[in-house]
Amino acid sequence: MELLGVIVGISLKALIFIIGMFLGAAYLTWIERKFAGHIQQRPGPLHVGYHGLLQPIADALKVLTKEDLVPDGVDKFLFYLASLMAFVPAIMILAVVPFGEPFNIFGLEIKPYITDLNIALILALAFGSISIYGVIFAGWASNSKYPMIGGLRKAAVLIGYEVALGFAMVGPIMQAGSFSLKEIVEAQSSYWFIIPNILGFVVILFAILAETGRTPFDVQEAEAELVSGYNTEYTAMKFGLFPLAEWYIATFVLSAIAVILFFGGWQPFPLLGWLPIPGIVWFFIKVFALFMFFLWVHWTLPRYRVDQITELAWKVMLPLALANIFIVALWVIIVG
Amino acid sequence: MEQQLTVWAFYTFSALAVLSAFGVVFFKNIIYAVLSLISTLIMVSGLFFAMGAELIGGLQILIYAVAIVVFYVLVISTVPEFKGNSVDPAYMLVSLPIGFILFLELAYVSIYGAWQSNVGLFTNEVIKEVGNIKAVSTLLFTKYLFPFEVASLILLVAMIGAIVIGRKSHVIDEEEAK
Repeated sequence: MELLGVIVGISLKALIFIIGMFLGAAYLTWIERKFAGHIQQRPGPLHVGYHGLLQPIADALKVLTKEDLVPDGVDKFLFYLASLMAFVPAIMILAVVPFGEPFNIFGLEIKPYITDLNIALILALAFGSISIYGVIFAGWASNSKYPMIGGLRKAAVLIGYEVALGFAMVGPIMQAGSFSLKEIVEAQSSYWFIIPNILGFVVILFAILAETGRTPFDVQEAEAELVSGYNTEYTAMKFGLFPLAEWYIATFVLSAIAVILFFGGWQPFPLLGWLPIPGIVWFFIKVFALFMFFLWVHWTLPRYRVDQITELAWKVMLPLALANIFIVALWVIIVG
Repeated sequence: MEQQLTVWAFYTFSALAVLSAFGVVFFKNIIYAVLSLISTLIMVSGLFFAMGAELIGGLQILIYAVAIVVFYVLVISTVPEFKGNSVDPAYMLVSLPIGFILFLELAYVSIYGAWQSNVGLFTNEVIKEVGNIKAVSTLLFTKYLFPFEVASLILLVAMIGAIVIGRKSHVIDEEEAK
């Protein structure tokens, strides 16, 4: 009976996380469009609701009720599967991300995370990288030149940055002595791991931009060259799932992981610990700050060429990540 | 009850792993074969999770299902469409005995493992205490340090060999072109 309770509890929590992430992602699109608008000196969505606040709902209805076209030459099974393969792993990372410490409501202990595995970081990395099959298979199944090139570009970019990303995560792991995201946060109670890990953080910034296909690295859709890249042949909600998964959910979740690794998770800002703000709010403040940083980069910088991106990955980011490991090793020996 | 759940998980994952392994062999469309391969590898990782080896399970997804198979996918989709010519049946004379020997070897290892499991320093209790990661790394960096380093050397040699073989003979020197 106790096991049944655990299963129901976890399913309920997973449902809350998924629905929350869906609604959250819908409003992240609003934030992005507002932000992009103001960067480019235009107001962004303005007319549906107060300052366009109801725009995401209108857009969701539009995307859901649009005609769902499937071109003739596509491999239908893979064509449908690809959009799910991009989306499901991105949302599965949520299972290992802790949002705060356990707290009590009405005598019931509530843990704001689904599981606290001791290999959480490896799983997050694995789920994050498995979603590239969505992009590659979308390119292949479309049976069309531009999507194919887009999918292959994404694969080439990802192979490079996945390695750098993995190595850059080693620094905080060494300092905390654990793969568990919760323990990594708890190890940062005295100082944040950004201090010796600054190089690792730079690498992770680039890797997240590359992994989620945001602008300086969005060669897989490059509108000027590839029409719309890997999702050219997609319509309606099948199309909608790709940006939802990559630009919003993956960016948000990877920002959360970067905050956990380098900025102390739900620990308060230094010198501001006396403020009556719960840890979960601190966490979301930091994650949003990082998310906005990615938006800022996205809407200001031009795009790299694909060979420049892979060159950057292998010749700059990988050595930087290795140098970071060396520096952190020295730091651990000297400072402890 | 919890034991029961693990048993169910084990049989579900093994059934799906075997099914997708059949897919790898019998699909005519090579992309579907790769897709089944990914499915097999993920199911095997599920098996590791069901047996309490989460570290291997996580690494299985990260390294096999993603890092390695991505290269397969990359090669398969860049190389012009694979024409599935049937191979000369004469090769069966070689492949059948070799396949059978491999089967015998695997069967021996599985049966041997069934009796020999859980001997040595890291018993179930110790692993519960220190966790998988510490157990694996302790052995890797003490008892198996030399084989580990030799394996990395072999991989390095293989990598250099692949680069030499894959290098184009007519690379245009960019510096010279200027």
